[in-house]
Amino acid sequence: MAKGEKKDIDKLSFEEAIQDLTEIVDKIEKGDTPLQTSIEQYEKGMALIKHCRGILQAAEKKIEKVSQTGDEESKK
Amino acid sequence: MVSRAGLIITSSMATKKAKIYTVSEATSLIKVALEQNLPSRLAVAGEISDWKHHSSGHCYFSLKDANGVLPCVMWKSSFNKVKFAPADGMAIIATGHIDVYPPQGKYQFYADKLEPAGVGALRLAFEQMAKKLEAEGLFDEEHKKPLSRYPMRIGIVTSRSGAALIDIADSIYNRWPCAKMFLYPSPVQGEGAAEEIAAAIRDLNRQNKELRLDVLIVGRGGGSLEDLWAFNEEVLARAIFASKIPVISAVGHEIDVTIADMAADARASTPTKAGMIAVPDMQEVLGQLEGAEIRLKTYVESRLKYAGQNLETILASSVFRNPYWLVNNALQRADEVQTRLTESAKSLLGQLRRRLAVALELIMRIEPGRLLAESKVQLNNLYNTAQAKIWNVLGKRKLQLTALENKLVVMNPKSVLSRGYSITTNKRTGKIVVKLEDVELEDVLTTELASQNFIESRVTNKQNSKQAN
Repeated sequence: MAKGEKKDIDKLSFEEAIQDLTEIVDKIEKGDTPLQTSIEQYEKGMALIKHCRGILQAAEKKIEKVSQTGDEESKK
Repeated sequence: MVSRAGLIITSSMATKKAKIYTVSEATSLIKVALEQNLPSRLAVAGEISDWKHHSSGHCYFSLKDANGVLPCVMWKSSFNKVKFAPADGMAIIATGHIDVYPPQGKYQFYADKLEPAGVGALRLAFEQMAKKLEAEGLFDEEHKKPLSRYPMRIGIVTSRSGAALIDIADSIYNRWPCAKMFLYPSPVQGEGAAEEIAAAIRDLNRQNKELRLDVLIVGRGGGSLEDLWAFNEEVLARAIFASKIPVISAVGHEIDVTIADMAADARASTPTKAGMIAVPDMQEVLGQLEGAEIRLKTYVESRLKYAGQNLETILASSVFRNPYWLVNNALQRADEVQTRLTESAKSLLGQLRRRLAVALELIMRIEPGRLLAESKVQLNNLYNTAQAKIWNVLGKRKLQLTALENKLVVMNPKSVLSRGYSITTNKRTGKIVVKLEDVELEDVLTTELASQNFIESRVTNKQNSKQAN
């Protein structure tokens, strides 16, 4: 697995990462991938799981207030 | 006849003493007069006063407005069907009939149905709005935007001070603490609230390039129909419908369905249920991740184990037990081949040498020198004969050719050039100049003289000698 790919995983959204992970698990369980590819996919899958867990752990109960921009349209 | 009869009646009444009615009779007359002249059922709007709910279950009250009071009765059986609690000062519409109550010598209204007048109007407005927007397709399933399965950034539009904010935030945090929440405060009841919530939704959509919200939750706690009214207004329904960010409505108690609920992409029946609708449960998601991890590990481990077994089987074969065996075999074979090659090459060479010697001997035996001389004489003879024949043919051809050449010389147009004529060609057109029209002023002419000499000249004048004269 290229280093560039690992970097890409860090940039994935949770939803994208889960989707990639699901695809990998499905693909790898079909068993028609060569051993080398399977191991690469396994490593990628593990990296995705780590990434997802990292996102889930970033929990902080905080509500940010959105500042309003002028809504001329509604103030007419 | 009629007039006479009338007169008779009149005269008889006049002669008799005026009839004295009993109270009951008079009351009965009034009752009949009322019954004959009033509609059998009528609806009366007014404000409740002197509300009394008697221990018998019957209700006694008055309906009044600025100029009148109407005493009312509602029997227990009818009152049981009333869904709200009437109270003094409440504006209602009562339906029933008017009758006389003889014991008190008064007429009163016997109500069998009560409706709160104000809320009734709102409900009507609600139904009309729902019908209108439904006809426009605002509630159609096909317009519902899919919700993000794992929203990480959640917008909340509600009152800053309301309990709904805490309910919504808690319900999200308890299930999915990794999401970031963004509050866009807005009043949620009273005049102008619907416009403000609608503006908030539009503003969040405008800012969403930076905010990157996955979903919007718009809501407030429960309340009376009037309190929730902002969520039934057209302006809010349209803002929800137009939002590019999926909208979840979370209004009031479960029984209150608002127009906003119908226009939203999903509905949480109360603010505390917003989290259930908006976000997944983190424990479940962690479980799924773990499941995926186990599946990946199990598969790859078994795959590796299988590959390892395969490898062992291969290594166990004799080739791998003694790898030099193959090489030594090959080397031995190579040696054998080399020996065979050398031997056969040697014998072949010997054979060839012997054949060469035999051939040489044969050649010497045929005396090549003598054979060659004989052949030379023959060749000379043949050559001479052929030469003579060729000259003969050539001479004839030469004569023919000269004759033809003479003819051609006479015919060649250029032969006249040697007698002082020349050929003029227009260089521009490449054609021979025959007529005056073949040239134009400034054309370059090429004049060919004898012996392929050429002169170039330019046309400076064109003249027809006849016209010139």
